[in-house]
Amino acid sequence: MTPFLDIQNIKKTYGATVAVQDVTLGIGRGEFVTFLGPSGSGKSTTLYVIAGFLDPTEGDVRIQGQSILSVPSHKRNIGMVFQRYTLFPHLTVAENVAFPLRVRRRPNDEIERKVAEMVRLARLETVRDRLPSQLSGGQQQRVALARALVYDPPVLLMDEPLSALDKKLREEIQYEIRRIHQETGVTILYVTHDQEEALRLSDRIAVFSQGRIDQIGTSAELYQNPATRFVAGFVGNSDFLSCRIDRVEGHSARIVLPDGACVSGVRSHGTVRAGSEGTLMLRPERVRIRNAASNTTPSENGAAGLSVTIRDITFLGDNTHFAVETDWKQPMAIRVPFGRAGAEGLAVGDRARVDWVAEDAHVFAESANG
Amino acid sequence: MSSISIPNRRNAAARPPPVPSSGVSFVLPALLLILAVFILPVVMLLLRSVTEPDPGLQNYRELFESATVARVFVNTFVVSGLVTAIALLIGFPIAWLLVILPKRWADLLFGIVILSMWTNLLARTYAWMVLLQRTGIINKTLMGLGLIDTPLPLVNNLVGVTIGMTYIMLPFIVLPLVTTMRAIEPDLLRAAALCGAGRWEAFRRVLLPLSLPGIAAGGLLTFVMSLGYFVTPSLLGGAGNMMAAELIAQLVQSLLNWGLGGATAFALLVLTLALYAVQLRLLQRGRSQRGG
Ligand SMILES: Nc1ncnc2c1ncn2[C@@H]1O[C@H](COP(=O)(O)OP(=O)(O)OP(=O)(O)O)[C@@H](O)[C@H]1O
Ligand SMILES: [Mg+2]
Repeated sequence: MTPFLDIQNIKKTYGATVAVQDVTLGIGRGEFVTFLGPSGSGKSTTLYVIAGFLDPTEGDVRIQGQSILSVPSHKRNIGMVFQRYTLFPHLTVAENVAFPLRVRRRPNDEIERKVAEMVRLARLETVRDRLPSQLSGGQQQRVALARALVYDPPVLLMDEPLSALDKKLREEIQYEIRRIHQETGVTILYVTHDQEEALRLSDRIAVFSQGRIDQIGTSAELYQNPATRFVAGFVGNSDFLSCRIDRVEGHSARIVLPDGACVSGVRSHGTVRAGSEGTLMLRPERVRIRNAASNTTPSENGAAGLSVTIRDITFLGDNTHFAVETDWKQPMAIRVPFGRAGAEGLAVGDRARVDWVAEDAHVFAESANG
Repeated sequence: MSSISIPNRRNAAARPPPVPSSGVSFVLPALLLILAVFILPVVMLLLRSVTEPDPGLQNYRELFESATVARVFVNTFVVSGLVTAIALLIGFPIAWLLVILPKRWADLLFGIVILSMWTNLLARTYAWMVLLQRTGIINKTLMGLGLIDTPLPLVNNLVGVTIGMTYIMLPFIVLPLVTTMRAIEPDLLRAAALCGAGRWEAFRRVLLPLSLPGIAAGGLLTFVMSLGYFVTPSLLGGAGNMMAAELIAQLVQSLLNWGLGGATAFALLVLTLALYAVQLRLLQRGRSQRGG
């Protein structure tokens, strides 16, 4: 079955610079997909191609099997919420929401009905006759959302719509966006560089890096099974340790740490080759720490570990954060949930032992994007 | 109540002098200069209009009763209105091009607009005379194309005045418009497009309303400047249809009628100021409606 919104092999270049390439992505009807990536990774460029503000150098965009590239923006019937400042400053909230219907020359009673519906959906009843300059940032973005949805577009694009708002407001509107998504069933393409926001909102996340999509998947897939070192670093917290790859068997590798310790059963990703340099990735919350002196017996059920020195301890309420250093001076972060045994009595400067379950360790090839 | 406020007032007096009064002393020389250079001549003109040749308002009676003066004022307002309207029609797309063209082309276009401002006024006006006269390029071209049989009377009449003045006023329309349009967020027009607005709807519902402050500022400037313009009307206009500035010059220079000349000048000044006040009121109301 062909996807509802089909982005095929998009490439966009500006002279010699490549803004995006090989962007291929199929999105189902009603799905909420987020483009997550650092600044300059090509998220907006991809969105602008879909919106019709940019012509791609190569590739195609189809909605329900029909290419939309030859359709001008104003006929694409796509909704979009921008980062900021895109309400019409001379029109009231209600008139901003009515705008798409007015240019479509819909009858007045229909306009009135739909605007009232949207004003209710976006909870704007109390401000409907105000001008944009009399609204808070959060209210402005809710108006933008209502204006983008009033004409029932099949696809809604959102380009970092909350980045200008403070954290508390952001969470509030994230919740509103989820609610509106559920109520309307609109297909949403959402851009952000905030991983928490992506994890909170999306059905699936496409992680962008240097103009390409590194991985597409649900948040759990990205967290448990990152395809690249970049994804591992961008989704969730991670510790990276340099290592050498000793042996690879299928998706399992044996690696050697700089202190000579051998770790086997590490999950390998991408093109990891025996004999080459690699990066070991661990999640800070999956690593255990205990006093090196008190317990010297090897850990149970295939756990691997190494010796470290504690540099800092921060108590954060529900968990404690340990900043430690390996014997070869690489920093590591470890989070210990409140009440877990083993970490009592540890102090800054102490030697400690950290270990983890083999399947929680991942290894990536050392190469830049690998 | 007053017994409470007295200590307060004493307190205030003890503090260093408030900023505004020292501010006045700083700008005082400038104020005096403005008074001497701008206000004083106007007052003297006003005085002459009610004292020469005899004290009284007879100059103003003559002004209001004269059919010639009435026609001159109608001419002045019609030409100024036309110039403003045509300059707006031409200036708006130029200003928009200056905003959206790639920088290199915009700089070139801006150079052309500005250059015309920096060229000597007389030179520009004579250039139009050459272009517009019976044997000028425009008439020759039109006749060569077979569009007309006899040369169009484009000079020594109000047509010539309107053409010449429109050209001269263009920068005064374009510059404030560019400033206003630069402030319009490009994403705003993208948003309008995705909302379904084609070129015309986006222009009518977004670009035009948001450009209104620039249109008002440039239009007012052009209209007011046109009302008192002298050089172009006197060179490109005909003897039969004068504009106000020409009439005043003739009254004073040729007829040495300082009284009537002063009265005419004063009447023009009052009309101009009244117009300015109305526009200012409209602008302010628009701004407060938009919520500032
Ligand atoms: N007009 C342009 N000319 C040249 N390069 C451009 C142009 N527009 C974008 N780029 C480049 O394309 C790349 C992708 O830009 P894009 O705006 O898509 O990034 P983004 O992921 O949206 O970043 P951000 O999070 O900062 O918005 C960047 O490296 C940028 O420098
Ligand atoms: Mg962007």
